[in-house]
Amino acid sequence: MPAKYHIHVRRVPPRFTPLAKNAIIDWSEGCLRCARCVKEQCPVDAYRKRGFDRTQFVDTIDEMCRDCYRCVQGCPRELIYKVVNPQYRQLGDEYWTPEILSATWYQAETGKIPVSGAGYGGPFSGPGFDSLWTDMSEIVRPTRDGIHGREYISTSVDLGRKPMFLLFDEQGDMAWTTPPLLELPLPILLAEPKLGPNPRGMQEIITLAAQNLGTLAILGRDQLVPVPAQALGQIMPSYSAGALELEDPLLSQVRAIEMLDHPALLKQVEVLKKRYPQLLVSIKVPGDEKVVDRVAELTAAGAEIIHIYATEKARGLGGFQDLHLKDLIRRCHLRLVEEQLRDTVTLLFSGGIALAEHVAKAIICGADGIIADLPLLLALECRLCRQCTKGGNCPVEIDLLTTKRGAQRLVNLIGAWNNQLLEIMGAMGMREVRRLRGEVGRAMFLEDLEKEIFAPLFANRETELQKRDPN
Amino acid sequence: MEVVVFACQQAVPDPEALKSLWGLADVRFRVLPEPCSSKVEAFQLLRTLATPVDLVWVIGCEESLCRLAEGSQRAGGRMAYTKKYLEEIGLEPARVGRTVVTPGDQAALRAAVAEIQDRLKSLGASPLRQAPQSAARRAAP
Repeated sequence: MPAKYHIHVRRVPPRFTPLAKNAIIDWSEGCLRCARCVKEQCPVDAYRKRGFDRTQFVDTIDEMCRDCYRCVQGCPRELIYKVVNPQYRQLGDEYWTPEILSATWYQAETGKIPVSGAGYGGPFSGPGFDSLWTDMSEIVRPTRDGIHGREYISTSVDLGRKPMFLLFDEQGDMAWTTPPLLELPLPILLAEPKLGPNPRGMQEIITLAAQNLGTLAILGRDQLVPVPAQALGQIMPSYSAGALELEDPLLSQVRAIEMLDHPALLKQVEVLKKRYPQLLVSIKVPGDEKVVDRVAELTAAGAEIIHIYATEKARGLGGFQDLHLKDLIRRCHLRLVEEQLRDTVTLLFSGGIALAEHVAKAIICGADGIIADLPLLLALECRLCRQCTKGGNCPVEIDLLTTKRGAQRLVNLIGAWNNQLLEIMGAMGMREVRRLRGEVGRAMFLEDLEKEIFAPLFANRETELQKRDPN
Repeated sequence: MEVVVFACQQAVPDPEALKSLWGLADVRFRVLPEPCSSKVEAFQLLRTLATPVDLVWVIGCEESLCRLAEGSQRAGGRMAYTKKYLEEIGLEPARVGRTVVTPGDQAALRAAVAEIQDRLKSLGASPLRQAPQSAARRAAP
């Protein structure tokens, strides 16, 4: 049995104090000077260890506090309060919420799964990925404990074209050369985010992280930094429409490339594959109203990998701007199922994948793998202030981050995501992420539940109303 | 030069609007939203001033309008303590200041910004900027 795939996480402390969700208001004036002050009984000794962050002008006690409320409840004069920190509330936007940002920072720092405490205080359902639940009916089986279980849960995925059948000659040998296939140990690829104060530094960080994780880093060919020879196998250069030149030396050094879709693409891929038959080609397609037909067309024409991209808020493009990524994935997947082509091609999706649960849910909806981009920037302590897009200075100095430190934070984040994927699969009774793809039988969609449960109720209600008042 | 304003979220519900009132391009104007002006403690004011920042200001609610009942009053007490402390150690107490406004009163915020600008003009750059120790500290990563 092959060794278990393991991601080596290591704590990388933040360079800037993360903004805490809650702030302590400490009114020391009027203190009774109790013999044993509640501040001395703090389980994390926050009152003694508190300091001052010179760059952000904040009291570090808020970041150290674990919200146990012991001091708030214990002070006899009620001089300590906890309130929501307005600086925290201002982080991110309506999709990339402060909770997503802080959870990403925690995972990038520790490599651990964020645990929010006892119970869940959030809403029952929400838009997008929050309207999809996974069936965790196997959660009690200890052998399928995702991370530490005795049974191995595989997170490996294959990139490339899979033949629909095999053909053997009279000697029993393969009658044709099978298309190239690339096995990745996890269904997550890394890509450059569109934001960031130092794109070149980001490329180096992502390349090193991809090398450590054994996955691929998708990097723009136009601005590509010199890549060390040992890392060439881990990068997937991305070419803009019509920018590919057959003489590019990188084509013989890498295992896969990405090309932006354009009308003459299939012809170009054909010429490319003749010259570099072992090179995998991923076709990047916008997730607009034409995407479903285009995916079917490309698959029928022999595409190996198709990368469909949505907006950073998990919405489609153009005429599909109101469509959530999960529905976009479902449509593309189901169309290929109808055409009996689904198993031949690898579908990758990007845009709006913000949390570990989104990885599992995207795969359940029909993706073979996902491409993480913006979370990688968040892992480097980004506050999503978008100052870099306006020519301003980065408040957390991402441009000064060393490659090694940044790469380890990315490894930590993906390590935490991978562990959560294992936990979800373990609880669902799955042992292969390949089998999770399109496995909607083990998931529940809010819209389906509403149709099955609420629609009949409302239908009956309408009948009753009609009986009472036929006019 | 640099000015740091600790702004109570009730008194200054829109920190960006306050920033837009500033208008002096050569002075960095930072507005840090706080849950209440009483969140800012004396040590925080002093250490902010030692960064060095040229002027530290607190904008809070009028005492009778404070949502935490005593918060604004306590912030006033802390400000007085900080000024006294600065005086004792031989620094200018005017480097810290406080304004109370009625929440949502734009005219009062404009007046506060004008007051901050006047104070900065009269004081000039912080003498701590010339101190070699602070210069070295600022340069350190």
